[in-house]
Amino acid sequence: MIHLPKEETKLMVAVHGWSGILLGLLLYAVVITGMAAVFAVEIGEWSAGHVETRSAFERSIDQPVRALGASTPEKYHEGVDIFEIGDHNLGVFFHHHDLDASGAPISRGIYYQLDRDGRVASAQEGTGEEVFGPRNDDALSSFLVDTHVRLHVPNPWGLLLTGILGLAMLVAAISGLLIHRHLLKDIFTLRRKAHPVLVDRDRHSVAGSWSLPFAFILAFTGSFFSFYGTVGVPIVAMSAFGGDQQALSDAVFGNPGTPNPTPRAIGNLDRIAADAIKRSGDAPTYMSIENFGRADATVTTYLHPKAGDIAPVTLLYNGATAQFVQEKPSIGTKPSTGGTLVAIMSPLHFGDFAGVFSKAVWFGLGFAMCYVTLTGLRLWLARRVERMRSLDWLERTVTVVGFGLPLGLLGAAVGFLVTMPLGTAVFWTPTAFLAASAAAIVAGIAVPTHAMLSRGLQIAIALLLVALPLVRLITGGPGWPTALAAGQPSIMAVDLAMLLSGGWLLWRLIGQRRKPLVPHTPALQPAE
Amino acid sequence: MLAAAAILFSLVMILLLWRGDPKRRRTTGLRDGADTSARRRLLVIATLLPGVLLAFAGDSAAFLIWLGSCVIAGWLAAQIQGPGAAR
Repeated sequence: MIHLPKEETKLMVAVHGWSGILLGLLLYAVVITGMAAVFAVEIGEWSAGHVETRSAFERSIDQPVRALGASTPEKYHEGVDIFEIGDHNLGVFFHHHDLDASGAPISRGIYYQLDRDGRVASAQEGTGEEVFGPRNDDALSSFLVDTHVRLHVPNPWGLLLTGILGLAMLVAAISGLLIHRHLLKDIFTLRRKAHPVLVDRDRHSVAGSWSLPFAFILAFTGSFFSFYGTVGVPIVAMSAFGGDQQALSDAVFGNPGTPNPTPRAIGNLDRIAADAIKRSGDAPTYMSIENFGRADATVTTYLHPKAGDIAPVTLLYNGATAQFVQEKPSIGTKPSTGGTLVAIMSPLHFGDFAGVFSKAVWFGLGFAMCYVTLTGLRLWLARRVERMRSLDWLERTVTVVGFGLPLGLLGAAVGFLVTMPLGTAVFWTPTAFLAASAAAIVAGIAVPTHAMLSRGLQIAIALLLVALPLVRLITGGPGWPTALAAGQPSIMAVDLAMLLSGGWLLWRLIGQRRKPLVPHTPALQPAE
Repeated sequence: MLAAAAILFSLVMILLLWRGDPKRRRTTGLRDGADTSARRRLLVIATLLPGVLLAFAGDSAAFLIWLGSCVIAGWLAAQIQGPGAAR
C-alpha cells in the first residue's frame, strides 16, 4: 500500500484521530440517521400504516389540479409543483418566484393537500419554508430526514454543519488510507481476545478498509448536497449572474423559449403522466409546471432511473398540448458530463436507484459507516484511557451517544406510534426522542461502571426493537394479513427486521453474560 | 438477476480469500493451509471480474449493487470465527 515517511505518517495519524474525535460524535449522528433515512419511505409507510400501493400519478390528477387552478389567484400560476404526500395522496403548490430580504430566491404561493378522493384537505398560503413541514402522518420519517440533512439546525447553518462533517469524513477516509500500511494484508484479521487496543484497532481497520470506496462516495455526495445550495449556487450566481440566483436557476434548470402569455388551458395532465409511465416504466415522483394556463406552459416530470441505470429520468412536455418534447438532462438543455455527474449524485448518496435491493445494500453500508465511526472513537480512547483516567467522561459520552442515539430514535418511533392517532405526532415525535436521549444521558451519569452502562443501553435498544411492532399493532396499525392483502410488503418487512435485529441483539447480550471473563493480555504486539 | 449472479460468484471468491488468508490464519494459530501469493492474486482477480463485466456491459445499477454487496460480504466474512479464533 502507500508508504509514507515516518514523520508524515505520524502527522496523518494525528489528523485522522483528531478529525474523528472532534467531529466523530456529530458525524455518527448524521450517518446513523442517514442509514435509517435510506428507508424513509418504507418507515413512513410502516409507521403511519399506509397500505395504498398505487401512485397518485396513476390515478386521475388532471381534474383536481385543473379545479385548483381555477380557484387560485393568477399571480400564483407561475409555477405548480405536484407531488405525493401521505398515503399516496396529492400535494399541489401553486406559487410564484420571489426574493427574500437577503436576495435569496424563494417560492410564495398556496400549498394544497388533497385527500384520497381529490378534495382539498388543507390549504396554506405563504413561502415554501412556511408551508412545507412535517405532517402528522410523516412526522417520524421527516424527523429522521431532517436530523440527517441539517441536525435540526436552522438553514443555512445546519447544511453547512453537515457539509463540514462530510468533509471531515472524507479527510478521515483519505488519512486512514494513507496511514494503513497493510490495508489488504489485514483485511480479514480480527483478533478477538487480544489487548483491547488491538481488538478495537482490528474492528475499526477491517470495517474501514472494506467500506473505504463507499466512505469516499457517501462523504463526497453528502458534502455536495450540503454545499450545493448554501455555497455553490450563491458563488456561481455572484460570478456569472450578478448575484441573481433566480436567473441562474432559470438558465440552468429552466426551459428556455419565447414567452407567450396568451391564456390557454393546461393540457391533459393524466395523459402526460400516462405517457411518462409508458416511457420510463414507472410512475413520476414529481411533476413541475411552468406558466400554468399560458400558451408557453411546460410540464416536467421526474422519474426513477430506468432498469440498469442510476440517473433519474426527466421528461419534458408541452404544457398546452400535453405532447412529449424531449428527455431533459438535469442541467441545461443538452446532455453534458456535468449534467450526468449532478444527476447521479442523488442515487449515489441515497441508493434508491434499484428499489429495495439497492436500498438494503446502502443501509448495510450506512451501518458499516456507523461501526467505523464508533470503533474509531473507541480506539482513540482505548489508546489513551489507561494513561489518562480523566478521559473516563469521554468514554462514557461515546457510549451514551453511540447507543443513546439509536435508543432516542426508537423512542421517537414509540412516541410517533402512540400519538399519531391523536393527531399530535409532530410535537411528540421529537419530544419522545429528547426524552429517550435524556434517559440515556442520565444513565451515563448515574450508572456506576462503563460496562454496565453499555450493556444497559443495548438491552434497552433490543427491548424497544422487539416491542415496536407490538406497539404499532396496539395503537391501531394494520396487521400483516391486511397489509399483504393490499399488496403492501413494507409493513411486514420493517416489523420482521425489528423483531430479528432486537432478538439477535438480546441473544448476543445473553451469550456475552454466559461467557467467563478472560483477563486481557497486558502487552501490545509489535504491530502496535 | 445479473447482479445477484455476480454477487454470488464474488461472495464465493471472498470466502475462499478469507479461508486462505495468511495473516488471519497466523493470528488464529493455524500454521499451514495459507494461500500462496499467486493463488490470492487469482482469487482477487476472480472476485473483481463480475464487476468489470457489469461495468463493460454498462449496467451501472448492477455494478453499484455488486460493489456495495461485496463490501458488506467481505466485512461480514471477516467476522466469521474460524478454527482457532479464540485467540
